[in-house]
Parts: sequence; structure tokens; C-alpha cells
Amino acid sequence: MRKLDKHLWWALAAALLSAVAFLWASPFLWTLVASFRPEGAGSADMASLLPDLHPTLENFRTALESGSFGIYYVNTLIVVTGVLAVQCVTVSLAGYAFARLRFPGRDFLFYAFLLQLMLVPPALIVPNLRTVVDLGLYDSLPGVMAPYFASAFGTFLMRQTFLALPRDFEEAAAIDGAPWWAIIWYVLLPMAKPGLIAFAIVSVTAHWNEFLWPLMVISSPANQTLTIGLAAFTMGAESGKEWGVLAAGTLLVMAPLAVAFIAFQRRFVDSFVFSGVKG
Amino acid sequence: MTIVARVGATALALSLVGAAPVWAQTKIEFFFPVPVEGKLAREMTRLVKLHNDSQKEVEVTAAYTGGYDDTKLKAQAAAKAGKPPSVVLMSANFNVDLKLSGDILSLEPMLKADGTTREEFLKDFWPALHANATVDGELYGVPFHNSTPLLYYNVDHFKEAGLDPAKPPRTWAELVDAAKKLTKGDRYGFLMPAGYDYLGWLMEAFTLSNGGRYFNEDYGGEVYYDEPSMLGAARFVEDLIFKHKVMQQGVTEAGGVSTAFFAGKASMVLLSTGSLSFIRENMKQAYDVAFVPKNVRNAVPIGGASLVMFAGQNDESRKAGWKFIKWLTTPQTLGGWSRFTGYFSPRKSAYDMPEMKEFLAKNPDAKVALDQLPYAKPWFATYQTVAVRKALEDEIQAMMNGKKKAEQAVKDAQKKADELMRPYVEQTSLKVP
Amino acid sequence: MSVASTSSVDLALGHRAALKPQRLRLLAYGLLAPSILFLTLFTYLPVVRVAIESLYDKPHGTGAAASFVGLGNYAKVLADPAFRQAAVNNLVYAIGVLAPTLTLALGFALAVQHSTRFSALLRTVFFFPSLVPLVAAASLFFFIFLPGVGLLDYYLGKLGIRGPNWLGDSDIALWSVIGLTVWKNAGYYMLFYIAGLQNVPRDAVEAAMIDGANGWQRLRFVILPALAPTTAFVTVIALIQLLTSVDHVIVLTRGGPSNATNLLLYYIFQSAHENFDYGKAAAATLISVAILLAISFGSLRIMERGARGNA
Repeated sequence: MRKLDKHLWWALAAALLSAVAFLWASPFLWTLVASFRPEGAGSADMASLLPDLHPTLENFRTALESGSFGIYYVNTLIVVTGVLAVQCVTVSLAGYAFARLRFPGRDFLFYAFLLQLMLVPPALIVPNLRTVVDLGLYDSLPGVMAPYFASAFGTFLMRQTFLALPRDFEEAAAIDGAPWWAIIWYVLLPMAKPGLIAFAIVSVTAHWNEFLWPLMVISSPANQTLTIGLAAFTMGAESGKEWGVLAAGTLLVMAPLAVAFIAFQRRFVDSFVFSGVKG
Repeated sequence: MTIVARVGATALALSLVGAAPVWAQTKIEFFFPVPVEGKLAREMTRLVKLHNDSQKEVEVTAAYTGGYDDTKLKAQAAAKAGKPPSVVLMSANFNVDLKLSGDILSLEPMLKADGTTREEFLKDFWPALHANATVDGELYGVPFHNSTPLLYYNVDHFKEAGLDPAKPPRTWAELVDAAKKLTKGDRYGFLMPAGYDYLGWLMEAFTLSNGGRYFNEDYGGEVYYDEPSMLGAARFVEDLIFKHKVMQQGVTEAGGVSTAFFAGKASMVLLSTGSLSFIRENMKQAYDVAFVPKNVRNAVPIGGASLVMFAGQNDESRKAGWKFIKWLTTPQTLGGWSRFTGYFSPRKSAYDMPEMKEFLAKNPDAKVALDQLPYAKPWFATYQTVAVRKALEDEIQAMMNGKKKAEQAVKDAQKKADELMRPYVEQTSLKVP
Repeated sequence: MSVASTSSVDLALGHRAALKPQRLRLLAYGLLAPSILFLTLFTYLPVVRVAIESLYDKPHGTGAAASFVGLGNYAKVLADPAFRQAAVNNLVYAIGVLAPTLTLALGFALAVQHSTRFSALLRTVFFFPSLVPLVAAASLFFFIFLPGVGLLDYYLGKLGIRGPNWLGDSDIALWSVIGLTVWKNAGYYMLFYIAGLQNVPRDAVEAAMIDGANGWQRLRFVILPALAPTTAFVTVIALIQLLTSVDHVIVLTRGGPSNATNLLLYYIFQSAHENFDYGKAAAATLISVAILLAISFGSLRIMERGARGNA
């Protein structure tokens, strides 16, 4: 009798989980199905999750024609790599300083950094926009990237990472006469790779998906990123919406990260977990 | 000359040849919104490319900037940052607002340079459009495409409910009657968009049809929300939802309204003539169009957009922008755009052209839209047009959600609007020596 | 592994280059300089600017000059029904998102903690929404919430239920936005709980089992307390995120209908970019900043406690 109960329990739990998972996945299932569905704007069945018998690529063609997705991809890539490149430098240096060096004001500066975790650029959008204009960076990709060049999150992550590393290698290198930058570059960073990779994944994801700040900074179409392009799609219509095209466009924006995720699933999950545990 | 020198010279010469037109070319930016995403944006992009390919002096970079409100936001933000677009297709009723804030240029100097006057220039444009194109007696915008609200109705549903599709409702009473017969199951007899921008426009339509007006056409500091005509209009909308139960409660966005119409979930909808071709393409059931029903009189606001030029550009850019505007507003171009979109052409002469006559013969629904033009009145334009409009919209939306009654809604709207316009009013009519 | 003291390395460095304490200090500041430069430009300076700007009022388009109004803008903001609505909405939004998200995150984590193929799939499904830009998710949900023919109403209709006007009913609109946010974030926090679960001491759980505690009791008395630091951490990040991301409001509802989905950041965005009332926008920004700081200082204590516990 008991055994039956337990099995029943497990079966029920599995069923419930599957139902919830299906619910969770349904928006994406719809996106997938709808982007290949030929109807466009009209039928009452456009919400159906069953794929159409005659799938078409028409929606993708339309979406690609409507927006300059090529340019959006390039711009987004520039932004995420630009931000990441500078961040790697700033967070490694700052992380090292906090982890290994003692200096007056260290605690104060630590808390000052902490502030940035809370006062994220979108919260300060009004004054930040003015700063960007004053620096002559309005409507430019560097203007989008600038507020993120320093990252408190990254600094803390690297600090944690460095703190957790054994000092023997450093000490050996120091005794051998290596200067500080050599210690960082040749000894610490290679050992801190998991932390850096974790940070990279979080940073790229965050900036790929950013919307409000780029929206404010960018005005010409040549500089727009994927999220801005997609939003123009969604918000643009006064009375007409081609849902299939919207689905296709959304798919185009999500695709790169999705593919990267499926390919490197373990890494992704581990990175977010890693950054969380250490945070 | 050595080989290297010769090659070098050739290269130099070639680069100069290639460079010459680029040197003389002015590059300008053009922001445009369109109400139907996708195909209209694509058509505009095609038009701009046609322009660029047809001549070498002006190269236009077109940027699709979303809806009307967003376009205004983007253009003003760009101007504030020192990079104003040269030409913007702006909602026709933003001219007062933009002139007051110093964002747009008077087009009088361009007219003068061309050797013409405002009256001459506007002669070919429908009279209903003149008011919104001029501010304080000066031309600020060139109308590009215009619309009025239109009643679209499902002919199959009409037949099914025992109504005669050749006799659409002409008055509010007839509308209620028809809607009641058409509402059944999960299908509503009537639906109208109530999102920001659209709701304000449609409320103006109802107020005008109720004999009144929304704003003071001569002075941007007065609106008439708390007046019998607007109150009656608000009560009408309220009753459609709560008393006659023929319209869904709450706010439905335009995208939702057209989708509902296509899916047969709404039998009659009030939408812009600018969506005519979109609806023609996507509506699988038989449908027809009619004037906006009247209560006191037939009167509708115009909608649509005009081409304006933003301040802060240099002379060269201004000349280029004006050239582009003229190219974009020839009767042929306007006619073609009208046929493609369903907007009507602001130029009367476009309708004298054979393609247009043929088109109207084939598409009687476009003709109905045109026939409503004599009843068109200016679109509301005041100081802080968007905020003042939202003051009304927020209240009406609350009313449509059952949160307040019509009387309270228009009173609160008037109060909010007056407060918003106070800075302007205090600098103008209340500035008594 | 050495404890967080840096003396041995300091000494090593000091030995080698005869680095005086000043040189060490200079090095530290030098390393921090780039970060501090950007932090100043984009975090500290803006706060100062906004504080100053909030004291002035420049009515748009009337030609009048900017005038000093002291705390006038703050009074205006606090008296503005739209702001009050936005504040209330944000509070409801915060609680409405936090509670289900944390519960689901924990639930998912418990469900997928065993490494089977099935749980790997589940993990992917639950986490995926976090990878997607919020605007993309909002676009999809625009369709999902569409009255009559949208995904929700379509399938509800098959069950014979008539859905309400998800985004157009001012009573429900905020909850629809909450629903979207929960869907998007639960999977992300699930990851933190997965990590947290790995740190739950096995012996305590086994001891409880031996003592005869059933699943629920084990959860309540052993696992949940052990997860307290994780919960605290997740709560803080979630709160910050809830106050600073309004992409979905911009795309889906524009704060409507009638301010039912107005949030603090969206109010700021509107004041600045639609109403051109920069004084009000600045005042509202400062108020939001104050709230953010309050949350952070409150949570700092908790994080310190947690860090000390975990390290």
C-alpha cells in the first residue's frame, strides 16, 4: 500500500511539473509556431499552438525587410563586446586592489562601489542622458556603453574569486621579482578564469537584452540595437499588427542567445549560479 | 612618369571623380512614424530609396520611429542633443506644441525663396487641413497623409442579424440599435480603440458629432472637456459599455480592435481611414465602411501627419530638407501613397489623376472616406498637446473601466488640463498689464 | 587557504621593490582609478546633478526662465496623483512579483536538484525566459493578452471561460504585468536556490529524516532556514530589479489604462520625456534613489550576516 502511495505521489508530482513546464514554455512554443504560420493578421486561430501544415518563411522575410536586422546585430555585438572588454580590465584591476591590497579608505571605497549595484544607470536615466550629451556621445554606441564600463558587480565577483585563490603562486612570483601587473596577468587571471567567464556570460546577457538606456541614447537607425528595433516593431502599429511577423522578429532577436545557451548550457547555468553564490 | 606615379595619379583622379558628387551631396535625416507597422514602413523606405536614386544632391536617411508620440519624443530628444533630424513626419496636431517649444521652423522663408505665398501653396490642399498646417498665420507643416475616423462593419454579421448592409447606422441611436442586434456570445457589436492617442482622437470625433468642439482653434490654452458636447460624448461611450452592453469593458488597443474585427469578434469598429488598405488585405469576411454616426451633426476630426522641419539645422540642410519635402508631396507621390495606405491624399489634384479615378471606382470604401472630407474639422492642437490629451484619456479610460461616471471624468479631465496649461495661459491671456 | 589578510603579499611586494606604503597606496588607487572615474561620471555625479536640478522649475515652451523653487518640485510630485498611483503600484508590483517568484524559484530548484535528463530539460525550460530581452517577452505577451484571440483567451475559450480584458482593465492590468514578470524571473532565481540547496548541510537533513520528519517538516525546519541567506540575497536583487526595469510597461501599456500600470521609473521617464517637466522628473528620481538606498542599506546588514555565515 505504502509503495503505491509513493509511486502515485511521484507520478502526480511529475505530471504537475510537466504541466507547469509546458505553461512556462508556451509563449516560446507559440513564437516558434507562429513565425512559420502563413496567415499574418487575420485568423481566429492564430493563437493555436499547433503548427500550420504549410509552414512558410514569409514572415521572416518580411521582418528582415522591415528592420535592418543586420545593422541591429552588428550594433548589439559592438556594444556587448565593447562593454565586456573594458569591464574585464576595470574589474580585474579593482578586484585585485580590493582582494590583495591594504590601503586607507578601502572599506569606504568598497561601500561606494556597492552603491552602483543599487543605482543602476536606468534609475539615473535623466541625468545620465545629460552627461552623455555633454560628453558629446549622444546617439553613439560608446554613449550606450560608457555607464557600464565600471562594474561593481564584476569587481565584487573578481574580488571573491581572487580571495579564494591560494597565495602561494603569487608569493612565489613576488619573491622571484615579478611586478604587480605581471602577477595579475600571468598568475592570477589564468586561475581566475571561471570567475571571468561567469562574469562575461552575465554581462553579455544583460547588455544584449538592454532596452531603456539605449532607447534614450540612440536616435539614428544606423546605431540602433536589436531591442530598440524590436520595440519599434511592437509599439509602432496604430491599428495594424502582423502577428506572424512580430513572432518572427522576436525569434530573430532571441535566437543568438538561445543558441549559445543550448550549446553551452552547463556553462551558462554554472556562471549564473557561481555569480550568485559569490555575490 | 614612373608606373607608381601614373597609377597614383589615376587613383587620385578616380577618387576625385567618385568624390565629386558626394562632396556636393547633402545628407539629411528623416524620421517617420506609420500607423501600420511593417508594410507601410517598408513602402516609405522604398519611396525614400527612389528619391535617393533619382538625384544626387540630397541623400535622405529614413528612420522609422514608431508611433506618433514616439516620433515626437525621439525627434525632440535628438534636437536637444544637438542632432535634430532635418525632416520629420509629425502628427498633424503637434504643430502648435512644437512651435511653442521652438522645435520646428516656420516654412515661410522657404515659400518666399520659391517665390510663392502660403495661400498659393495651400490652394491645392483640402481646406480642412489648412488649420493644422498653420500656426499664428505661418505655414509650419506640409500635409502628407490624412485620415478621418471611419466606421467599418462586418457585412456577414449584418445579414445574419437581420440588418441591411446597404443601410449602415447613421446616428448614435441607430448605432446602439444595430450593435445590440449584433452582440451575441463572445462577439461584441461595437469596439473602438481606447489606447493613448487614438482615444483622444475618437473623443474629438464624438464631441464634434455631438455639435461641440474639443479645443479653441485660435488659442492653444483652452480645451472644452467639461462642456455638454463632450459630456454627452463621454456618456455615450459609457452607456455603450455599461448600459447597452455592446462594447467590451476596459481599454482595447488599436491592434486588438483590428484583430478582433478580423477574427469576427467585433461586428463594427471605429478605426482610421489610414488602416483602410491594411483591413482590405486582411479581412476575409465581407465588410463595408460608413461615416461616423452623428448625434447633432456630421463632423469628424482629421488625423494624419504633416512634414515639418526641425530647428537647429544649417542652411544647406534646410534647403535639402525642403527639396525633399517638395519631392515627397507631388500629386503623383501623394496619390500613390494614398492608394497604398488608405490615407487620403491631402492634395486635391491627386484625385484628378486617372490612376486615382480608376482606384476609387474599384474601391468604393476609399470613396466613402473621401466623401466624409467636407465634414472634417481640425485636429486638436494645444499647448502641451500630449499631456493635455492624456489628461482626458486617463479619465475616460477610468470611466471605461467603471471607475468613475462620465460627469466626474470630464470634470477631472478639465481640471487636470487647465492645470497643465496654466504656465502658458499665465504668460499669454492672463498676463494683463 | 589563507584567510583574508594580505600581509604576506604586501610584505613580498614591499621587499622586492622596497615599496613604501605610499607607493602601495598609489598602486591601489591607480588600480581603482578607471572604475572610480566611470562610477563618478555615471553614478555619483548624476545624483548630485539631479539633486540640484530638482530645485529648479523651467516650464516648457513658454519662454520663461528657470526659477528656483526649493522643495516646490517635491511638493508637486508628492501631490501628483499619478506619482502616488505609481508608488502604490510599485509596492503592489514588488510584493506581487516577489512572493510568487521566490516560491516558484524554490519549488523549481527543489524539483530539478536531482540530475536526471528530465530535470535538465526542466531547468532549461524554466531558465530560458530570463535570457530573453524584456521587450521581446513583452511583445510576446502583447499577443498572449490580446482580448478574444490571444493565446490566453484562445485556450480559455476552449474551456468555455471568457477571459477579462487583461491589459485594458485597470483592475487587472497590473497583475498581468506582474504575471509576465514572474514568468520571466522565476527561472533566474531558481539558479540561486539550486546553488543554495547544494550548501544545505546533509547531516542536518538526514538527522531530521531519522527523527521521523516528513518532507514538509524537513523543508520547513531544516532546509528553509539553511536557505535564509540565499533568500535574502535573491530578495535584494529582485527588489532592485523591480524598481529599475520598466521595459515591459513602455512596450505593453505605457502606464495605462489611466495609470494602472504606472511605475516609479516610468513616471520619471514620462515626466522628463513627454511632459518636459525636468524639475519634477529630477525630484521623482531623487525620491526613487532614496528608496533604492534604503533597500540597499537595509539589505547590507543581511548580506554581511550571510557572508559571515557562508565564508
